[in-house]
Parts: sequence; structure tokens; C-alpha cells
Amino acid sequence: MRHLLAVAAGLVVLASSACSAPTPPRSAVPSATPSGPATLPAPTGARPVGTTVLYLKDTSRPDPWNLDAGARELKVTLWYPAARRDGPKAPYMTAQESRLAVRRYGVMGVPDDILSRTRTNAVKDAEPAGRRLPLVVLSPGFTNPVSTLTSLAEDLASRGYVVAGVDHTYESYATTLAGGRVAECLACDSDTDPGFGSGVVAGRAADVSFVLDQLPAKWDDSHRIDRSRIAMVGQSMGGASAVAAMVRDPRVRAGVDMDGTTYARIPKKGFSRPFMFLGTPQHVPGGRDPSWERDWKLLTGWKRWLVLTGAEHQSFTDGPLMAATLGVRLASGVLPAPRAAELTRTYVAAFLDLHLKSRRQPLLDEPSPRHPEVKLCPAACAAPR
Amino acid sequence: MSAVRTVAAVLALLLGAACTAPTPPRELASRAAGTVCAAPQEPPGPETATTIDVVEQAYFCILGNYYGGATLDTRPLLRAAFAALTQELNRAGRDVPGATMPALTGDRAADWAAFEAAFRAITDQVPGLRDRLGVVTLEAMVAGLGDNHAVWAHDIVRHPNHYDGDGYGLGLLANVSGAQAEGDPGAAVPPLFVTTVQGGAARAAGLRPGDVVESIDGSAPFIDGKPTPAIAALYPRYPRARPVRLRLLRQSTGRRWSVTLEPGLFQQDLTALQMVRSRLLDDDIVYVRVRGFAPDSADRALQAIARLRTGRTPAGVVLDLRGNGGGSPREAIRLVSAFAHGRTTAYLCTADDRCETLRTDDTVALVGLPLTVLIDRGCASACEHFSSAIKDLRAGLLVGTRTAGAVSGPAQGYLLRDNTLLALPSRHHLGPDREVVDRIGVPPDHHVPLTPEDAAAGRDPALAKALTLLHK
Repeated sequence: MRHLLAVAAGLVVLASSACSAPTPPRSAVPSATPSGPATLPAPTGARPVGTTVLYLKDTSRPDPWNLDAGARELKVTLWYPAARRDGPKAPYMTAQESRLAVRRYGVMGVPDDILSRTRTNAVKDAEPAGRRLPLVVLSPGFTNPVSTLTSLAEDLASRGYVVAGVDHTYESYATTLAGGRVAECLACDSDTDPGFGSGVVAGRAADVSFVLDQLPAKWDDSHRIDRSRIAMVGQSMGGASAVAAMVRDPRVRAGVDMDGTTYARIPKKGFSRPFMFLGTPQHVPGGRDPSWERDWKLLTGWKRWLVLTGAEHQSFTDGPLMAATLGVRLASGVLPAPRAAELTRTYVAAFLDLHLKSRRQPLLDEPSPRHPEVKLCPAACAAPR
Repeated sequence: MSAVRTVAAVLALLLGAACTAPTPPRELASRAAGTVCAAPQEPPGPETATTIDVVEQAYFCILGNYYGGATLDTRPLLRAAFAALTQELNRAGRDVPGATMPALTGDRAADWAAFEAAFRAITDQVPGLRDRLGVVTLEAMVAGLGDNHAVWAHDIVRHPNHYDGDGYGLGLLANVSGAQAEGDPGAAVPPLFVTTVQGGAARAAGLRPGDVVESIDGSAPFIDGKPTPAIAALYPRYPRARPVRLRLLRQSTGRRWSVTLEPGLFQQDLTALQMVRSRLLDDDIVYVRVRGFAPDSADRALQAIARLRTGRTPAGVVLDLRGNGGGSPREAIRLVSAFAHGRTTAYLCTADDRCETLRTDDTVALVGLPLTVLIDRGCASACEHFSSAIKDLRAGLLVGTRTAGAVSGPAQGYLLRDNTLLALPSRHHLGPDREVVDRIGVPPDHHVPLTPEDAAAGRDPALAKALTLLHK
């Protein structure tokens, strides 16, 4: 039943490019020998990275998915520049989360705790360092926990950003809440409903506003954050939620949508805060998903629409980095995992450095010989066929 | 709107079926080389022109896969297709002297060859009409099957400013639904009246439930008590944007007036779009509305029942299936299985009467509460599978009006070379008593129609009847 649902949902998702597919790339084919636990690529910035977890509870609204929960609980993972590099690295996810993930992907022949043994780069609960740090809210794809964006999060923290990764409870196969309770994907039951995407991004926008409200009280080091410099980055449904959060909350100054079909209504009079679409070749103008073209017309400020040749939906996540671990081989022509991670990190950081740190970024203005996979749309990319 | 929903539901169903169905047997592949069809393995790309080669593919796809296709006499299909072709020529003012029906022999491959030759000869003389003629030919051929689950889904486009959950149209629903108006309106009875104001032009013009529609673009919705094609104009689909003029009567005040409604996008209440919704009525009735049999619909309904009965002993369950256009038979079976075990829910039979017996899934826990089911003409396909099973198995009482009678058999989607989908049932559906439900519908145990007065007052007489039955 559950598997059938996943397949059916997968097809619906593909049909609309709604893009909530699970981590192992759809184009992947099984390979014979899983490689053992993965190691995330080293962050490229100069600073050591720390990470810690906050548990928040919004008593002002009921949970949208669990009708018996009178409050919305959220888990927020922070990545930040740390004072020192030494100390135990934070776990990628718990063994239980790994079990639920492996089960969901239907992967056979690997230890089911394998993802929890992924080697990360951030030191658990390390002492933070720096001040007037810009903040980036990170939101994962539907069914994915925010840990699937760890490679990007660690890299941004090493470049001097505080990253607040939000696990939107009941919208992923596993969220470990305060006290160790594990919330599974209740929202998955209704993901074929009309209006589902619109409802999810509205809920996530409320989640983000609540996180921004709570951060000063809940994180001892929140004085290090420059609250006038906040952006949001997300993959798939998380990217769609970046649009929703920006429309709702003026504190979010800029946003990046990585390959997410969008759902939030941008005001008809236009929307002038900076925004960047970063997508797969499915997301070219005239492609299968018309939502970016609809929104593009309403974006009146700084905007970019980049398409990565060879990228697929999970190229912007840790998914390809986990492929070998799970014993799946990327299809030919798909960006190799290290290159996908490098491009994602480079272009997201360029966007944030431009808009939160006011550093000029030629990378975003013209084709880059060192990044030939990246096309600037709509001018320099064509519709398929 | 509901017509659009039906198309969407059909497509979702096709895609869902597509990934679970086995690929067609090998021998099909060798039939008439290059014309075989298969279930789509991934979402189709952009649609391309419907050439005669695509029509040929559909023709042999029907022979290979449709109910009774192996022995089907295709001459009526080719006649229907040719008739549509000549009508289109005539409409375009471009009739062709040589456009006469080729002689058919009953040899299906030879008849196709003759048809194709005629089509090519005609379209060579009117090349500008070629694409359009391909479309009407294929449409008529599929319609010629006379099967409500044989559907060619093509030219499906969305408004560029559409958001997930938006509706398109006039913003109203009437007591004759879009699916009914376009499909089989024979059972519709006057008067035509508004049941729901969804938004858009209808809301802006101040329409209310209960408003009687006396004319549509100057045409009467009923003549001598029989429905007319004018009713379908209440449900324009994008890209149709021509304004629709309605003459209305509000019975409560006697006011008669006319409005011109422009079709457009309108926002809908997202909670109202949820496939499964539930609440407790009168403190002791579990009410669950199931709008369609989507993946997980049955489990969602059962979870809702379990949740609402926690800590109390309900008098019964009302399942509201009005407007439920169907979906997955598997979900219908699961939901029946919560109210009956060890029984047959339906049969699926081939043309040569080989039947598969569909049985309850006895791993589903019995609810063990009295059941009433609300049905209407919008309850179609898998919804009728469910309703006929509940009725025949005496697992509950049906209240409302007769169902749609649109349950020929579960369809499988096939991808055609122009990236359109052809849906064909290979078997026909029979109820648990081996009765045909298709075109007949399932009659309610208690006939409770909605009147304009009820709609205007916000009354729901069918639900009221269901509650009375459960409280007895």
C-alpha cells in the first residue's frame, strides 16, 4: 500500500514536476555493491562549523496534519561558524531516522542504520563565533528531513552564515521531536489532494515566521545574528516555501528555490525582493512545470533563473552523495555527486553573498567558463524539443 | 469545474494504473508493426500533432487491449470516424468531392488500410485541416466504442496563472454536474438550479444556492422536461473564455434577472478540496465525506472514523459520497471491507465471460457501526463499485439519488505517439449480484432529492434522512 502510494505519488509528482520525490534519484539504477557510510564533502569556507538542535512549540495554532495535536512542534537544526574545529562531529541523523529513510526508499542489502553513520563536518554543540552574522533559513523537500541539505548547510556556515534548518513536522518520513518522539509523514496521506501544495507552503511560511520570532529567545547565541539580513533557501517544496515565506514575512529579504514547483500567490502588483530559481533542465521556460514562468512575470526586483545541465531533482540535496552508500548508481549523463554539491554550494553562496553581504558576483551575471553546466534563463536556455 | 475535475481524476487514475499494470503481452508488439501502444513509463512530454499514424496506433491499440478487442467488428468505429471527418470538412467549408466512405470488408487490417488511404487522399487536398481532421477522427473512433471509460485525453492545457487548488469556470455548481451534462444527462430533472457558489464570476454577481437557471445564453436547460445541451455551457473549460449569459429566478423573492458571467480562474477553499473530511454530528454520528477514491482515501476515512469514535459510542457512520467521481477500485474495496468480510464486491469480466471475482480485504478491521451512505448522480465509477457492494451485501443504507451509471470497467492508460493518453477498459464491471451497474446506476434505498428551496435554505435533506435512520 505504502509502496504503491509512493509510486503513484511519484508519477503524479513527475507529471507536474511538483518534485517531492524521495532522495535516491529516480533515474538511478541499482548497482551491486553498496560503498559503506558516506562522507560529506568538506565545507569550502574558512570558518569551523558547529551545529545544535532547538525544539520549538507554537501554541498559537494547531498542527495542520495531526488533528490531535493542539500545538505545532518544530525541530530546528542550526549550523553556524564555530570558535574551534575540534570536538565530536554531529550525527547526520539518528539510527531510527535512517531506518525509516531506508525503508521508505525501498533499499535492500544495506544496514538500515547506514545513513546515521554518514560522516559530517560540523562539531556538535560547538561554541559559536562571530557577530552580525546573516541568517539563512533552510527548508527541505517534501518527505525529506532537513538533514538531506547538510552539505549545503555546513558550507554556508563555513562562509559565515547562521543556517536555521527547519524540519516541518509530519511532512517528512522522520522528524525526531523533543524527548525522542518520532513523527512520521502524516501529510503523505493527502499529497494527491488538489490544493495540497498550496496548503503545505502556507503552513511552512507560518513555520518560518514562528522560527524567526522564537530564535532570539531560544538560542543563547542569537545576539550574533544580524536580523536585518535574513534569506531563505529551499529545495523542492522547501523552495516553493521560500516564495511563500517571503510573501508573508517581510523579514525574509531574499530567497532561492532549488527545483521546486511553486505554489504561493505572489501579489499581482509584483514582488521586488531578490529571488533566484535554480533548477534542472525540466525547469526551462516552456518545460513541463509552468509555475516558474507564472512567477517570473511577477518578480520585479533582482531575479535570476538558472538551469543546470545534467542536474536532476535531488542534485541540490545530499541525495547523490548517498547514492553509493545505498547501492544505487546515478544514470549516465547525471551530474556526479561532488560536482552537483559544488555547483549548488557555489551558486547559492553567490546569491547570498550578493544580497546579504553586498559582494559583487559576476557568476550570476554571465556564463562562467568554469561552470559550463549553468545556463542563464530565460534568455540562454531553450524549451525541450 | 467538476468536468475538469473528472478529467484530472481520470488522468491521475491513468497514471496510477500505468505504474502498476503489467506491460502488454509480447505478442501485441508484433501486431501491425509500430502501432502497438503501452502504458506510459513516465509523464508524457508535450503533445504533438495527431497524425493519421497516431490514429492508426489508437486503432490497433483498441484491437489489442479494449474489452472484446480481439473479436471487435471495427466497421462501426471507422464509419463513426469517417462521418466525423466529413462533418468537419463541411464545417470548415472545404468539402472534398472524393470524400466518400471506402468499402469495408470486416478484415480489420485491410479496412484500416482502406480508411488510411482515404484519409490521406482527402487531407492532401486540404492540408491546412490535416491536424484538425486527425483529432476529430480519433475522437469519433473512441466515442464510437460507446464506453464511458474509453477516453482519449488530449489538448489538456492549464491557465498560465493557475495555482494549485484554483478552479476555472463560472464559479458555480448546479444540480446537474459538469460530468453529467457532458456525459449522460438523460437522468437530469428540472429545474436547473445553483447548489454551490464556489467563487469567481458567480460570487461576484451575487448568485446564491437555490437560484434557478431559466436560460443559458438564451437557450432553455430543459425542453418538455428533457435536458438540453445548453446545460454544459455552465461548465466552460480553459481556454474557453466566452462570457455566459444566465437568466435567473430567485424563488424566495420572485425576482427574475439576467447576469453575464465571464469564465476565469477562482480561488477555492483548500480545506473543502481535501479528499477526506470528517466531523462529529449530533455528538453521536461520525460523518466522513470522501470526494474521490485517491490512493489512501480508504485508510484516511477509516482513520477519521477511529479518531472520532475514541472515547464514545457513536450511533452510526454517515459516508458522504456525493460528487465522488471514483478513482481506484482498490480503495473502494478497502472501504467496503470495513463494513463486510468474506464477500464479493464486484466482478470484472472479459467479453467472453471470464470473470475475476473481487473480494473484500479481510485484513481491514470491521467498523462495526450502522452505516448510511449518501449518493447522488455525481457518484461514479469506483464510487458505484462501493455503493453497489454496500447495497447488495446489505452492509448499509443508501440515501439520496441514483448514482451516475458510469462504471463500465477500470481503465488502463496507453501512451500514443503524440504524447496523448488513450484509456481503455479491458474488462467490464458487474455488481456482487452479477448485475450490470453501468448506465443503470445504483438506486438509493431512500430517494431524497435536493430541491431549490432546500439549497436556498442551506438544508441537506439527504443527510437529515441519514441521521434519522441511524437514530432509529
